[in-house]
Amino acid sequence: MENNKLIEVKGLTKQFHKVDVLKGIDVDINKGDVVCVIGPSGSGKSTFLRCLNLLEKPTGGSIIFEGEELTGKRVDLNRHRQKMGMVFQQFNLFPHMNILENMTCAPVMLKKMTKAEAEAKAHELLARVGLDDRADAFPGQLSGGQKQRVAIVRALCMEPDVMLFDEPTSALDPEMVGEVLDVMKELARSGMTMVVVTHEMGFAREVSNRVMFLDGGVIAEEGTPDEMFNHPQSERLRSFLSKVL
Amino acid sequence: MSAWLDKLSETFIESGYYKLMLEGFRNTLIITAAAVVIGVALGVVIAMIKYLGEDVPWMKPFIFLCDLYVTVIRGVPVVVLLLVFYYIIMMSADGVTVAILAFGINSGAYMAELIRSGINAVDKGQMEAGRSLGLSRIQTARRIVLPQALRYVIPAIGNEFVALLKETSVAGYVAVKDLTRAGNLVRNNTYDAVNTLLLVAIVYLTLVVILTQLLKLLERRLAHGKQ
Repeated sequence: MENNKLIEVKGLTKQFHKVDVLKGIDVDINKGDVVCVIGPSGSGKSTFLRCLNLLEKPTGGSIIFEGEELTGKRVDLNRHRQKMGMVFQQFNLFPHMNILENMTCAPVMLKKMTKAEAEAKAHELLARVGLDDRADAFPGQLSGGQKQRVAIVRALCMEPDVMLFDEPTSALDPEMVGEVLDVMKELARSGMTMVVVTHEMGFAREVSNRVMFLDGGVIAEEGTPDEMFNHPQSERLRSFLSKVL
Repeated sequence: MSAWLDKLSETFIESGYYKLMLEGFRNTLIITAAAVVIGVALGVVIAMIKYLGEDVPWMKPFIFLCDLYVTVIRGVPVVVLLLVFYYIIMMSADGVTVAILAFGINSGAYMAELIRSGINAVDKGQMEAGRSLGLSRIQTARRIVLPQALRYVIPAIGNEFVALLKETSVAGYVAVKDLTRAGNLVRNNTYDAVNTLLLVAIVYLTLVVILTQLLKLLERRLAHGKQ
């Protein structure tokens, strides 16, 4: 099953100003996995996710993506990042571009597609998330939920092999969480490999096939949603779940 | 009233000095416009070098040069700079060219600081979003960060534009016939100080008012696109 591994994380550590945020994380993410990362705030969940595409430079350890070590020297990170879509808590849409331009600018600039191809792809993706009529709108004219759906399809426009979600619903008004989670569920069903840092336990339980519980910079427990939510082994996970469920 | 009109006609029309005034007006416009273009271009380049060069070891010398440039320019009066260019650096060049370069290079230092403040005002998530899509640092800076930064600082660039227009009035130091110099020459030859200086002042004022209105229009336009 060697070739089934999409991302291998080996002994990943990260320090911020001499504070150990990640203290050695080993995990493999396989093709088609939907991995939810849960844990208390400050446990290193977001840092872990941001290390996967090297938005944060790991202090130690290695990240191997599609057989290539991203943490090595002389790696064309930009090329690998094209294959790793990312969705942020704060959406990070480009406010000076309309929705269509937000989606097409990267594939066109990177010469992955012609402008016409990128626009066709963008319209198709927008239709999939029910926003094709907003293609000419600017981000400032959209609701939070709409922005996040656009952010998801903007990443998908690059046709990535894996999607990283950094608390994608945490900045949303409660009534908009559902529409974003629906898009993510649909994406998971389509077979996309996903790593999701989230506080949405319902989503983790229903959609993921693996759940990682991060606490104090280490993976404190890992398993299937059933194991994690119904039969938690460690005291730490039990106490965490009792607070959030 | 008619006596004053006669005086005006005598000073500018009959004497033929209106041609000199027009030449001065033209030179002032040329120097200001060209210097603004140079200033903004220099400002963008320097701001980008300083922005992209952070934490990049081999960029250190370039950043040092940029800092040196900004420090020197901001520490030397523009008249002195103008004289240095005219008498030392470009001895045989024509005055207007010297003035364009001196004012442009002078303005670049201020523009650089302005644009850098605009870049700093752009959310850090914008760079991260660009990088996460696979764009390089330079691509993201140019296409994502810079357009937003410029939008933030357009009012400040407008102020710099107005200041520059008025600063060019010292171009006469290097024998450029700009508006001020032309007015002063006419005053010297006609002994009509009131009307020559009044005209010069009114022309500057009018230019500034027009410029300010245009900038307001531009600002409103951009604000609209943002919605």
